[in-house]
Amino acid sequence: MRNTWPGAGGSCLAESITRRSRLLAAVVGLGVLVVGGGCGRAPESTPEGGGKRLTIGVNFETLQTEYWVAGFEAIRSELKKRGIDVVDSIADGDSSRQLQQIRTFITRKVDGIIFVPKDARTCIPAIKAANEAGIPVVLFNRPAAETEGVRSVAIVADNRKLTRETVSFMVEQARQSGRKHKAMVVVGDLGDANAIGRRDGFYDAVKGNEEVVEVVSEVPSEWNQEKARSGVVNGLQAHPDISFIFTSSDFLFPAIVAALKSANKYHKVGTPGHVILGGFDGDATAYQMLEEGYLDATGVQDVYFEAEQSVQAVLDLLAGKEVPALILDPGFVIHQGNLHDLKDRMWGARVMGR
Amino acid sequence: MAIGMRVDGWLPGWLKRGVLSDHLILWLSVAYVLGMAPWATGFVSVSNAQTILAYLLPVLVVSVGLTLVLIIGGIDLSVTSIIALASVLGAKVMSGEDGWMAGNALAVPVGVLVMLAVGLGLGAVNGFTVAVCRIPAFIATLTTMMFVSGFAIWVTLSRKIGGLPAGFVMLGQNLWVATVMAVAVTWLAHGFLSRTLYGRWFYAVGQNARAALVSGVPVGRVTFWTYVASGGFAGLSAILFTAGLETGNPEMARDNLLDVVGAVVIGGTSLYGGRGRVLGTVFGVLFLALVDNSLNLVGLTFYTITMVKGGVILGAALLDTARTRILARTG
Repeated sequence: MRNTWPGAGGSCLAESITRRSRLLAAVVGLGVLVVGGGCGRAPESTPEGGGKRLTIGVNFETLQTEYWVAGFEAIRSELKKRGIDVVDSIADGDSSRQLQQIRTFITRKVDGIIFVPKDARTCIPAIKAANEAGIPVVLFNRPAAETEGVRSVAIVADNRKLTRETVSFMVEQARQSGRKHKAMVVVGDLGDANAIGRRDGFYDAVKGNEEVVEVVSEVPSEWNQEKARSGVVNGLQAHPDISFIFTSSDFLFPAIVAALKSANKYHKVGTPGHVILGGFDGDATAYQMLEEGYLDATGVQDVYFEAEQSVQAVLDLLAGKEVPALILDPGFVIHQGNLHDLKDRMWGARVMGR
Repeated sequence: MAIGMRVDGWLPGWLKRGVLSDHLILWLSVAYVLGMAPWATGFVSVSNAQTILAYLLPVLVVSVGLTLVLIIGGIDLSVTSIIALASVLGAKVMSGEDGWMAGNALAVPVGVLVMLAVGLGLGAVNGFTVAVCRIPAFIATLTTMMFVSGFAIWVTLSRKIGGLPAGFVMLGQNLWVATVMAVAVTWLAHGFLSRTLYGRWFYAVGQNARAALVSGVPVGRVTFWTYVASGGFAGLSAILFTAGLETGNPEMARDNLLDVVGAVVIGGTSLYGGRGRVLGTVFGVLFLALVDNSLNLVGLTFYTITMVKGGVILGAALLDTARTRILARTG
């Protein structure tokens, strides 16, 4: 009994109501216009009949970071490359709006939906609504919480593994310096499975290497630059000898670099006073920092792989094929040593190129 | 005056009556639906009506509460943070995963009461600081917002709370139930303001608190109870938001404050107090929901939607300004 509403009866209701006032009539009239569609025109489907073109709804929670913009453009481009029509919307960080927008896709009778949920929990009603309408749902880069009877496919970076590999590289750099480093980790919104995976990957990598890296500060950013900056500033004041920083997302680098500069700790790799820096995502800022020699390594999410897999998953679901509930993007670690060879696969480098 | 003079001069009679009508935003909504229907696929359909209603109802309830506050010349910046805290505390009581009353038959009624109590309690705090401590409403409710937002995140460690009982989820997802709840409280507020002596006191306080006091209106009590009511409406809105998304969320409605204020002001409520109607707020919320929904259906890009929405709201505000000026000139 979800979303029950007697829409088809709207116009009949209007006829039977005595006109107490023009206002009441107007309200009912508007209700008839909106609710009474059951007696009038039916919503249109995709424009062509027969061998009709598919239409896929693409919804992103936000376009606030370069990563999401790159992912959004990659999916649109992949769909267009395959001759599929796209309708899109952005929830602007609002779970309620996102639910409305997914329902709007259903109203438009799209053939499939690819979306980035605001978080693992609040997307469940939207997925349920699509399931009930028989529309396949693919989640890009952020999985939903496991919920009985809710079906979706998620394409996500293997956050834990890729972070572990990135931080392991940083630990190796620390070991080669021949001294012990005090470390800070900047974590994301711990309501986000990606943030948890990256935090866990970080601790996987430093565990057993305490003689080289000692974690003295964990900064909660909640994916917010201002919170990250104040947290890093406070951490550096409490532990001025921090010389190893990992951030769970590259988009926080501007905040971290500002804090390092104000503490006079921002120096190039291989120069005295350099703080070993690592991140996750592979955005344009990270690429620039790598090029300029300030960043040691970052774990790159393969946006183009994820976009291609998302579209393929929708098409496979539409064709009735079996698709695993979770498809992992292995990503890759890019650092000063392999930058030249791998930069063409780094989405941040392509963004810079544009 | 210039806009009012010009509009007054060349508008045909029927249009002038429409512009001068108390229900201008409703007429605009009707015109908007008629104008957009051919362009927005599925705009006039049953399923889209459900979509709009599901989105609109929680916003409407909190907007009605804010209307009361604006009419007395106040402001309540804390309503969205009250929604967030009520959402997570209610969810903490009810959640079947690790809720305080998980599996208990009374979990849903207790959870609902906790959410309402959080709203009323924080409203009382606002009312006390504004009416008794005489702290400006902007500062009082801003500090409540900051404290409550931080507390909601601290108490959950930023985690969303799922596993809410079906009996609770139904309150937000069964549109019959949600509509009855929202319409009932809206109707009550409308009746209270327009048909009771106490309602007149609200306008008197908003127009001139000192004059109202001299005339025997208990300004302090009216102010206190207005903020309590606003908190209560926020608590009820939290029930609809939380049930609709099946999740207790410390960031619930965080970005809705401007939408809420915008809807109330578009509905004709003055930011300076003394003027406004609950019915106007209903139309304001409806108008914004229609604009938002239709622009998504048209398939415009995010950037375009934001710009068009701003333009449409500005147009509505200009029309309202013109109307006010014509009315002022014609007495």
